[in-house]
Amino acid sequence: MDIILGYVTTILVFFFTYNIFTLGLNIQFGYTGILNFTVITFMAIGGYVAGVLAMPKAAAGSGIYYILGLNLPWPIAALGGVLAAGLLGYLIGQIALKRLRSDYLAIVTLATGTLLYGLIGNGTSIFDGWQGLFNVPQPFAGFRTWTPLGYSIFFTIMTGVLFVLLWLFANRIYKSPLGRVMRAVRDDQDVVEAFGKNTFKVRMTAMVIGSMYVGIGGVLTIAYITALSPAGWTTGETFVVWAALLVGGRGNNFGAIVGSFLVAVVFNEATRYLPQIPAHPNLIPDIRYVLIGLAVILSVYFRPQGMFPEKKNTFLEVPLGDSSKAIEEHLAGGLSKVGEQ
Amino acid sequence: MTMISKDPSPVVKVALEVDSLKKSFGGVAAVDGASFSVEKGTITGLIGPNGAGKSTMVNLISGALSPDSGHIRLDGQEIGGLEPHEIGARGLIRTFQISREYPDMTVMENLIVSASNQGEKLFNVCFRPSVGKKRDRELVERALHTLVTFGLYPLRNEYARNLSGGQKRLLELSRAVMADPKVLLLDEPMAGVNPALIEKLGEHIVELNKDLGTTFVLVEHNLEIVEKICSKVIVVALGTTLAVGTMAELRKNKAVVEAYLGGDVRERVGS
Ligand SMILES: Nc1ncnc2c1ncn2[C@@H]1O[C@H](COP(=O)(O)OP(=O)(O)OP(=O)(O)O)[C@@H](O)[C@H]1O
Ligand SMILES: [Mg+2]
Repeated sequence: MDIILGYVTTILVFFFTYNIFTLGLNIQFGYTGILNFTVITFMAIGGYVAGVLAMPKAAAGSGIYYILGLNLPWPIAALGGVLAAGLLGYLIGQIALKRLRSDYLAIVTLATGTLLYGLIGNGTSIFDGWQGLFNVPQPFAGFRTWTPLGYSIFFTIMTGVLFVLLWLFANRIYKSPLGRVMRAVRDDQDVVEAFGKNTFKVRMTAMVIGSMYVGIGGVLTIAYITALSPAGWTTGETFVVWAALLVGGRGNNFGAIVGSFLVAVVFNEATRYLPQIPAHPNLIPDIRYVLIGLAVILSVYFRPQGMFPEKKNTFLEVPLGDSSKAIEEHLAGGLSKVGEQ
Repeated sequence: MTMISKDPSPVVKVALEVDSLKKSFGGVAAVDGASFSVEKGTITGLIGPNGAGKSTMVNLISGALSPDSGHIRLDGQEIGGLEPHEIGARGLIRTFQISREYPDMTVMENLIVSASNQGEKLFNVCFRPSVGKKRDRELVERALHTLVTFGLYPLRNEYARNLSGGQKRLLELSRAVMADPKVLLLDEPMAGVNPALIEKLGEHIVELNKDLGTTFVLVEHNLEIVEKICSKVIVVALGTTLAVGTMAELRKNKAVVEAYLGGDVRERVGS
């Protein structure tokens, strides 16, 4: 029983974190049309920074090297990680959102991600290089004496609550005037600009908020598995998040959830039980990527808008004054004929 | 920022002034020293042969391109080289030669999102969502009225991408109205539109000009409608201003006839 519960909690944490990544990408791409091809880098930065803020100073001779080591309480360390991810989003935005069209932006994000990957992997003294951080203290671990399962359940609930809050906030943005302007930018940036709105600012807002979402996912990841190394955030992982969003339905947060569940949980768990072939240790992760790629191809082919396409937004037309009467009069006057014959 | 010395004449107020404007693309001098002014509250035509530089002028005036040299003044304030959104925020709104609706938004959303000052600040989203909701109520009402006026009311909840070519033209104009423009710069709003709708678009423009006092600059190849609604017409050719006057005057101008009107005016007027 405990084993099953432990398994379920792990999957749930995984599911919630992936959801948070996907929501972040949805705000950037689904709402605003920003092609962020290095989603997973923000997860890494969020995780690493929270990690080194929460960990004690790296002891000499311990064989692990990292910056800071401030031994801060978790809530503060987590906040630091999220802000770092947001800051990275801001910096990339400054380069990429100012003048570049979306395809260049995609290249800039991809290049920055690759650059940071090499830098962090080879720069042993930043986040312990290719070996990565480990023994990261767990949040609220000293709060009481936890059984391992008890802690897992606690962590799952914490992650779930965070996910729900982030989901509500993402929906609030979507429905707000800001979300509307974001979608207009997605549809035609030049026109929004011509209508007197600073589209750079709008896109930057989406970029930073989305980056912070992914950063939160990163903080949760390192806190749960207590370790993070470059092997955990290869470029391929970015496309898992993309696949989740595209298959689920961009622009629709519910689609983002379904996509995360399908791509990140179902495929991941289903491939886990394939028999290991000792001569090909990478076979199973590769099969997972093949399946995800296949899902994207099928989805683009049969349901280009995703399983749950963006919903049509309508407005409550309760008249404030005498507008409904005026409209009816207009309509009765024969003005209702649609523009063209 | 240069201020012009009050009004050039005590009666006529200039809404938009273009002065020795130049813009080249490589070796092509698309706009080559054009100068003209548009009086406040008028409907002014801007005509000229294909490739004369009309769209480039629209792009320069609206900030989509920045000029190589010369001045552009809106209400006496220099706007040359400003960002498009800065110019838009000052009340000069432009439309594009090819319809550019927001395809994945409804007709209603296309209008509402075009209004200025919607409460779209992040602060409001986080802490004062009621600001946006309240403004939305006003905007919905305004948008409904505008849609009724333009005959798009039955299509209000349709995705803009599903509209016909002519309906998209109506949408562009009604969307521009939502932004409360002082000057509306229309780049061939009647291109690819049937004669009945051209007529109707012309009526809308005249009505908006009368009711709201909006100044219009109309880039158009359809000279019949230009003659009908424009009090003054500017002819450009090879990137410079060739002549200014009423259509009747221009028909008598030899240079204009040679450069643009040609022998058979009717032929160019056709749909
Ligand atoms: N981005 C550009 N790069 C290079 N040349 C350009 C560019 N934009 C316009 N041109 C050139 O500048 C000249 C003026 O073009 P413009 O589009 O302004 O003409 P127009 O008067 O709007 O013509 P039309 O009536 O066909 O719309 C043309 O020779 C065109 O080829
Ligand atoms: Mg043109």
